[in-house]
Amino acid sequence: MQLTVFNGSPRGKKGNTKTLMDKFLDGFRKIAGNDAEVHYLNNREKRKQAARIFANSEAVIVAFPLYSDSTPGLVKEFIESLAPFKGRKGNPKLGFVVQSGFPEGIHTACVERYLEKLARRLRCPYIGTIRKGGVEGIQRKTEKANRPLYRDFETLGESFGRTGSFDPAIVERFKKPERLPRAIFPLFYIMMKFGIMDMGWNRLLKANDAFAKRLDRPFA
Amino acid sequence: MNHVTRDYDKDGAGALVNITILNGEKKGRSFATFMKDFEHGLARAGHGVTVFTIPDMRISYCTGCWDCWIKTPGVCALRDDTEKIYPVINRSELLIFASPLVMGFVNAETRKINERLIPLLLPYVDWYKGECHHFLRYGHSPKLGLIIQPEPDTDDEDIAIVEESYGRTALNFKSMLVFTALTTRPVTEALDAVNGL
Repeated sequence: MQLTVFNGSPRGKKGNTKTLMDKFLDGFRKIAGNDAEVHYLNNREKRKQAARIFANSEAVIVAFPLYSDSTPGLVKEFIESLAPFKGRKGNPKLGFVVQSGFPEGIHTACVERYLEKLARRLRCPYIGTIRKGGVEGIQRKTEKANRPLYRDFETLGESFGRTGSFDPAIVERFKKPERLPRAIFPLFYIMMKFGIMDMGWNRLLKANDAFAKRLDRPFA
Repeated sequence: MNHVTRDYDKDGAGALVNITILNGEKKGRSFATFMKDFEHGLARAGHGVTVFTIPDMRISYCTGCWDCWIKTPGVCALRDDTEKIYPVINRSELLIFASPLVMGFVNAETRKINERLIPLLLPYVDWYKGECHHFLRYGHSPKLGLIIQPEPDTDDEDIAIVEESYGRTALNFKSMLVFTALTTRPVTEALDAVNGL
């Protein structure tokens, strides 16, 4: 299979979306005969060419971070450029990977409904949507801590490379938890109360000499 | 021109509010006409209305750098025309996103200004309505409204998806989506939705 990946991260090659998709493609390329190319939509010139590349593809995966519970603006610009191919016969198979910072699946549930409808609107065979929460912060975790996540993405890529579909067991597991269980609220509250939740942010603020200004309201 | 039919001062329903409209579209005559009638209707009812036409402004996509959270709190590294919008939103009781639907969703310009509202939040995470959400930098948010122009192939499912998504945006800002109006309906419906708040 020849796969085209559009990476819709505004951070481009420095983003977590690339980290996850690299693992996915490692798995995908394990299958003989498979090849993939990746295009970064944060490049304006590439965005202009993207619709034509899409139209000439066999299978497409659009991967992006969740922005304000939906697509980043530049991904929406790309989607709008596909309008001429709406309903065209022979459109590529289309799937999505959405990753979010917050851990719960509820944040990405709505955009999945949109993406599924989009595939129908374009009349693209719908591969599915992989949505994974809790991804922001992986760059500050150890390689060992990230290993299970990376292995899952490699497995997803490999099984997609073999079958042309996303492994339903992993897809289902990634969506969970839909919401954090109420039972952990006391712990959450204590962590909030004692600033444990804020420690990571405060460390970054201090490293930038910006801690004193953290609550600033410059546009009140 | 449509007319506001209710006397809000007399019956006590509704209140005069400051309203920010983020308009994601400058082309399309029927959309522009609807918006002009809507804005005039709001002004005539006595509301304070500020309109920002996003495609006419110097505004870039969010780059996900987080400087507005961890380097220059509240100030985006892009230093563009969004700085004209933030203080107006902060003085508004109602924020309206207005956009034609394109490929089943609000347009890229609307998404762009939507994602650029992140400096209005703090990085810190709160537990809100059973979900993780950020604390508000300014301690308050306007209520949200949505005006959308359907496409020829728009169906109820599309509208439900957009409405749900902006319900999520409202949650992010600890606010609520108080109305969704379609430009294919009479403008008085949208005006009544605002005036009834």
